[in-house]
Amino acid sequence: MTVAVSAPAALGDALAAIVGGGHLTAAPSQLAAAAVDGVIPRWLAWPGSMDDVSRLITVASAEGLAVAPRGSGSALDLGAPPARLDLVLDLSRLTDILDYVPADMVATVQAGVTLEALSRELGKHGQMLALDPYGGATRTVGGVLATNASGSRRFRYGTGRDLLLGARFVQADGTVTWGGSKVVKSVTGYDIPKLLTGSLGTLGIVVEATLRLHPVQPASGSWLFSFTSREAAGALVASVLASSLEPDRLAWLNAAALGRAGQDPAPAAVAVSVASVAEAVTSQGALLDSMASRMGAHVSTLDEGFWTRMGGALTAATVVKIASEIRRLPFWVAEIERATARHGLSVTVVGEAGNGIFRAAAEGSVSPESWAREIIAPLRETLAAEGGSLVVERAPLGLKRAADVWGPVPETAFAVMKRLKAEFDPRGTLNPGRFVGGL
Amino acid sequence: MELNPALLSELERILGPKGVVATQEGRMAYECDMLTFYKGAPDVVVLPETTEQVVELVRFCRREHVALVPRGSGTGLIGGAMAPVGGVMVSLTRMNRILELDFPNRCATVQPGLINLWLSQATREHGYYFAPDPSSQMVSSIGGNASTNAGGPHCLKYGITVNHVLGLEVVTGSGEILAVGGKTHDHPGYDLTGALVGGEGTLGLLTAITVRLLHVPAGVKTLLASFSAIDDASEAVSAIVAAGIVPAALEMIDETFVRAINEGVGAGYPKGAGAVLLIELDGPDAEIEAQARRIVQICRDHAALEIRVAQDEAERALLWKGRKEAAGVVGRMSPSWILQDAVVPRSRLPEIMREVQAIGARHRLVIANVFHAGDGNLHPMILYNDLEPGEVERAMAASDELLRACLVMGGSVTGEHGVGLDKASSMPLQFAAADLNFMARFRRVFDPDGIMNPGKLLPSHPACGEGFRPRVPRVPAGTWV
Amino acid sequence: MTALAATPSAFDTTDAPSMDGLRACVHCGICLPQCPTYRVLGQEMDSPRGRVYLMRAAAEGRIGLTPGLARHLDLCLGCRGCETACPSGVPFGRLLEATRGQLERHGVRAPQSDHTTRRWALETFPYPARLAPLLWGLRLYQVSGLQTLVRGSGMLAPWKRLKAMEALLPAVPSPASLPEYIPARGKPKGRAGLVIGCVQRFFYGDVNVRTARLLSAAGWDVVVPQSQGCCGALHLHAGRLDEFRGFASRLVDVFGEVVDVVVTNAAGCGSALKEYGHWLPGEAGSAFAAKVRDISEVLVESDLPLGELKETVAYHDACHLAHGQKIRAQPRELLRRIPGLTVVDIRDSDLCCGSAGTYNLTEPAMAEELGRMKVERIRETGARIVAAGNPGCLMQIARHAREMGVDLEVVHPVDLVARALREP
Repeated sequence: MTVAVSAPAALGDALAAIVGGGHLTAAPSQLAAAAVDGVIPRWLAWPGSMDDVSRLITVASAEGLAVAPRGSGSALDLGAPPARLDLVLDLSRLTDILDYVPADMVATVQAGVTLEALSRELGKHGQMLALDPYGGATRTVGGVLATNASGSRRFRYGTGRDLLLGARFVQADGTVTWGGSKVVKSVTGYDIPKLLTGSLGTLGIVVEATLRLHPVQPASGSWLFSFTSREAAGALVASVLASSLEPDRLAWLNAAALGRAGQDPAPAAVAVSVASVAEAVTSQGALLDSMASRMGAHVSTLDEGFWTRMGGALTAATVVKIASEIRRLPFWVAEIERATARHGLSVTVVGEAGNGIFRAAAEGSVSPESWAREIIAPLRETLAAEGGSLVVERAPLGLKRAADVWGPVPETAFAVMKRLKAEFDPRGTLNPGRFVGGL
Repeated sequence: MELNPALLSELERILGPKGVVATQEGRMAYECDMLTFYKGAPDVVVLPETTEQVVELVRFCRREHVALVPRGSGTGLIGGAMAPVGGVMVSLTRMNRILELDFPNRCATVQPGLINLWLSQATREHGYYFAPDPSSQMVSSIGGNASTNAGGPHCLKYGITVNHVLGLEVVTGSGEILAVGGKTHDHPGYDLTGALVGGEGTLGLLTAITVRLLHVPAGVKTLLASFSAIDDASEAVSAIVAAGIVPAALEMIDETFVRAINEGVGAGYPKGAGAVLLIELDGPDAEIEAQARRIVQICRDHAALEIRVAQDEAERALLWKGRKEAAGVVGRMSPSWILQDAVVPRSRLPEIMREVQAIGARHRLVIANVFHAGDGNLHPMILYNDLEPGEVERAMAASDELLRACLVMGGSVTGEHGVGLDKASSMPLQFAAADLNFMARFRRVFDPDGIMNPGKLLPSHPACGEGFRPRVPRVPAGTWV
Repeated sequence: MTALAATPSAFDTTDAPSMDGLRACVHCGICLPQCPTYRVLGQEMDSPRGRVYLMRAAAEGRIGLTPGLARHLDLCLGCRGCETACPSGVPFGRLLEATRGQLERHGVRAPQSDHTTRRWALETFPYPARLAPLLWGLRLYQVSGLQTLVRGSGMLAPWKRLKAMEALLPAVPSPASLPEYIPARGKPKGRAGLVIGCVQRFFYGDVNVRTARLLSAAGWDVVVPQSQGCCGALHLHAGRLDEFRGFASRLVDVFGEVVDVVVTNAAGCGSALKEYGHWLPGEAGSAFAAKVRDISEVLVESDLPLGELKETVAYHDACHLAHGQKIRAQPRELLRRIPGLTVVDIRDSDLCCGSAGTYNLTEPAMAEELGRMKVERIRETGARIVAAGNPGCLMQIARHAREMGVDLEVVHPVDLVARALREP
């Protein structure tokens, strides 16, 4: 099948005609700012509606263009460098909250709504969207879902996978499609929203999301338990998990992270928050205090602002995310601290200890080859043996080229993912080359 | 999609003689699940015991182009576990072991035939349990729960089965063993685990499931509040939600059911109440005490007749026994019945309740209601006598009207039972052609030859030549044929 | 829609299974995990739901009375665990007995079932005159040491059923003598007629003696009609309904009007006796049935003087007590009254041990699997004594405990109460 290749100027006009001249640019300075991993697009568009998105992608598909969606642009680092990039779709004009019925604890929003804007609106009714990716207040709902970004609240509330009920998305050929449901409870057909979450837009671009909300609890308390060893911190985590305490956050910080969050450094610390009625916050806090003190912790109370500061600790140029078995988290934190230290790097570690997930942000200079061969590869090999994984969430271009950012995916699973991509985006219109295995 | 009898010996080779049932009686016993309205006997039933047998079986069926119908305990309500075009029914009931319990990682790996409740029974003494609690949990299998993404009263707070599945081993319709997910909580790539749950046996056969375990909550408080009018109960539900309380469970039962439950289960629900709310709170003691006080106040504000709090585990179990066995108790209430499973946004609950009563009056039928009020999921049971001329038609008309009313209010055609055969033709009420087309293409990725559970989940398109005709005419249970 | 023409039922109208009973099943499957054969085989046709479905299909003329149907019903233990679980009140036991009766009368037999042994058992056990000489021979077999030789050598291995039967043999006691009348201790509450059973009177005659003694101690005048025959339970459960009615009416006559309660210590008998009202014509059956009590029901209402017994006993729910008669609390309550006695529950307590009347003779493979499962569960409790209110259970559990090397004293609850009883 031949691909219609119109003359660039005509193509630009066609795209502009869809969004209006003021919402499409080919100006070099703007395009450079919209580059993804150094690949500069040919156009940058700001669609104003679902219809715009659909029509833009229809043209893109017909013309064999490669499209990359963007929200706030702060997580464009995630993924391998694009194989091709022609058109960047900036969804930041799609800022409507389409439907919000507080009594249903469900809201339908456009993809460009930011987390902080949504939080303001929901807060008026004592509700919230329980997604709190690090440093993510300015991020858009669409971006957070596409990258399956999450923060420490995932311990209690889950991630986008658990909070996205339904999505209206645009397929690679421009078809507007709906998947999932608008109510909290529905099992009608395949759970397409699950497939889309974390897919980096490679199967479809979410333009509208129906999200499950939660009430904001009347009171909350946060505590920091610092230890002189990782083992002791790990023991506290294990004790909390083996108890009937119900924190909403159970975070792990290393010395560097503590410093950045404005706390006294210690080899390892566990930060816990509890949100409930005041009496329950107090009683659980007391239980935590005695549990941790018995284990030799230094206990201090935290203000709510701590969590935002902690979220801002992962600002280095290279950030990797490790997923391990819950009980192995202290081990893997030690491994990465040692591996990076051997190369003169210092790492800031922030983790969701109750999920076995942590991120390590590395400062210092090491060649991409050393990173790839001596840190990432060995870690991945031993991690894989226990079903874990290491994803490079952010890195300078050199490192992205030296190491596969996503890491290995089991063969049969990857074969299915390839078939899905081939089925839904045979022409490689959506973010080609950026997802696992170069999908 | 029918089985050539000559191929029986090949099946016996794969599964052993005890693993193959081809008698008339055997096939008849498997011709329906709990929705006996739909009957379709398979040509043969096989009962594998290992993943290897399942793989060989799928490859065999693919080679011979024979339909495969997976089945767990057969307690589904959507006609999902019957064989409308014959073929091979695969009962996973013999693969029912717990493969691993891993408390430090708060997870367990089980075989699909394991009964849901048995997992929690095995873990409770260690302080853990498996949260999804469909009312059928004392007999339904975890494989069945995962295939239909089952809910249950406690999913209001804890989510549905998919929120508790960490990983799967699946033999897909193309005959491959696919391992997705696992004990860790994030995996690079598409969330195939999430997309496979709820596949209703159309994508593959689940042969191992890794599930999340939760720690048993510190305390539980179960309350029963009775009201004279169902409106009062519905408004109380809305008020509880508006107060920012998410109970672990929030169930509503109407007077017809209350009477039947008292007779059948002896649960001692308040006699003569127009509606009863069963509310359960779990969590730290201080939290549930405060929430219980607030709920009691809300119920009083909405003219509650009586509010009871279970004093011990035995009382709690009895309150729940009534609710869990409600569906079974129908046998005492009526010769025949249609159980609907529909959803409306929570805020429209009072409205749909009035509509249900109106529909019942219009069609001169009793509609009994028990449902998960907290998430807007209703289970009206339309009672009728199949031996009375005209009643079955009225019941079906009422059912249809009810479903459409829910959709008009922004709900869904199924809350937790799934689509199966029963709702496949209703899918276009909720999804546009492009949406259904996406799902059909998704399905083909896992089942290129269309052998997995044909006729289920998606409407058949006769134009594509995929249409099926049920082998047995759709006749209500109990009618003399 | 016009009513469709009915297809003729496969059943005839004599003692047909109740259509209302069959239609009460809503196919919910709650019975499945409570069914021992479903637990072992995992297949629908050997579950209560599947069996009811097939019986109903026969009633609706969708299948005939086939050997296949007969086989699935033969495999059923008749334990009625399904009745306890069923929220819709399906009367499974009666449906089973009625259908078995139909199959019997229409001469439908499953080739895989052991009809020879079943016929032999039905023609021997209910007839004391035939059982007595057999027992004499068995006693000799044991006392002479021949049994030790046979069991030790394993020579019966090729004859599975014979081996199974032999293995079940408890120690045959010397014939116990039970007088026709035992007065109450103290002021009598009334007259209690004692049913001495068939297997019970020969294999566990001492239990009968203790039962009588306890009834007397509890203030009952005990009447033991010596001419009583079988209660007919074996025939009822096998569906040989007319023969059952014969046994039943004879037993009703023997006890006459002269007793206030009719007491049994065998669960299987008690369950059948309480059903006399359903199966016998006229009022005599229900009048009789209304008087029937299990010994635990009677003793728990009295205040017996009991001394200390420092032991731990695991209590096994005989199916025909727990499911057939809904008696669970009374035996436990009774045992707990013995000072120093710790009564523990067995996991899956009310899952059949596999005895089920003569089932462990006719279906040795399934019975063995269930018997071993039961002993394993008992072993888990750590108790050295297990009590059960039915002779069949006692034989079954004792046999498998012996074969599994589990050291277990197997007793009737009455044995423990008698042991603890303080004589004035």
